[in-house]
Amino acid sequence: MSRSQLLDQKVFQAMRAVGAAAKKGLGDPVLAELVMIRASQLNHCAFCLDMHLRDARENGESEDRVQLLNAWEEAEGRYTERERAALALTEAVTVLTDGFVPDEVYDRAAQLFEEAELAHLVSLITVINGWNRLMVSRRVPPGGRQA
Amino acid sequence: MTTKNDTPDTTATTATTAQSGTATAATTATTAPNGAAAAATAGYAPEQAPRLEWAKHAPEVYKAMIRLDTAAKRGLDARLYELVKIRASQLNHCAFCLDMHTKDALAAGESVERIVQLSAWEESRHFYTEKELAAIELTEAITVLTDGFVPDEVYDRAAGLFEEPELAQLIAAITVINAWNRFGVTTRMTPGHYQPGRHA
Repeated sequence: MSRSQLLDQKVFQAMRAVGAAAKKGLGDPVLAELVMIRASQLNHCAFCLDMHLRDARENGESEDRVQLLNAWEEAEGRYTERERAALALTEAVTVLTDGFVPDEVYDRAAQLFEEAELAHLVSLITVINGWNRLMVSRRVPPGGRQA
Repeated sequence: MTTKNDTPDTTATTATTAQSGTATAATTATTAPNGAAAAATAGYAPEQAPRLEWAKHAPEVYKAMIRLDTAAKRGLDARLYELVKIRASQLNHCAFCLDMHTKDALAAGESVERIVQLSAWEESRHFYTEKELAAIELTEAITVLTDGFVPDEVYDRAAGLFEEPELAQLIAAITVINAWNRFGVTTRMTPGHYQPGRHA
């Protein structure tokens, strides 16, 4: 068995279920792809970046917004306030080993998202972090959709 | 002051209160770590409410997470798994998760020594088996993704000691505790109230 195949099908299916529930509850596919791309950048997941860049483009996301995502804080006018709050939260929740999720980051998101939306946004950030780990640790090459 | 120099301030305050007289304060000092409400009266910082009851607001996600958790731990040594969960929760600074998994580990017969030494495992290798060490090292590599990849030497060491199905489950389990850590830290779930065995 190659390294990339080390994933139990029940785990794979359960991961997909978590992701599907998170995306459905958030109800904003455009934002979802931005969040998943940003987390995958921070976690250096080639497979996930490849997949979500393609998904974003298929959703009609602009090349401009995708290209500038790595510097979203300086790219004023390209992202909405909700998107910016979600991206800040994505970064905080992704880089847990360097600290906590700061109050100002959490509070900014909590002001712009209803509690149920926020719970699903946190879920989505968490599940893409999960996929990032499953793909990076097994070194799954970019370009495919199947785990 | 009779407290040692390395005693944290909160404990020092508690000790002073206890010495100044009341039996209540002395009792509180003994029981404080298990009950934050009692701790408040002993000079500890007040307990914080969680930021968000995420499981209530995202019940389908929570149910799916429970199924994922069950799927990920199949075939994994329970004692090893607790060490993995504690180490990941240390790295991710998840207080709620540490409360839960240290209590579960102790209830399952794990030694205090092995739990205490876990954050310095590289210097206390003789407390752990080679398989445990490889799993802990893999846990760290997969947890701290933002600082780099999962090094070949770390992966290969684990791959040399674990059969493939078990290695697959180990990677999944490390991923899942990282997910619980994210929910716990982000929504600031309150530690201190977990009863061992409830989720073990």
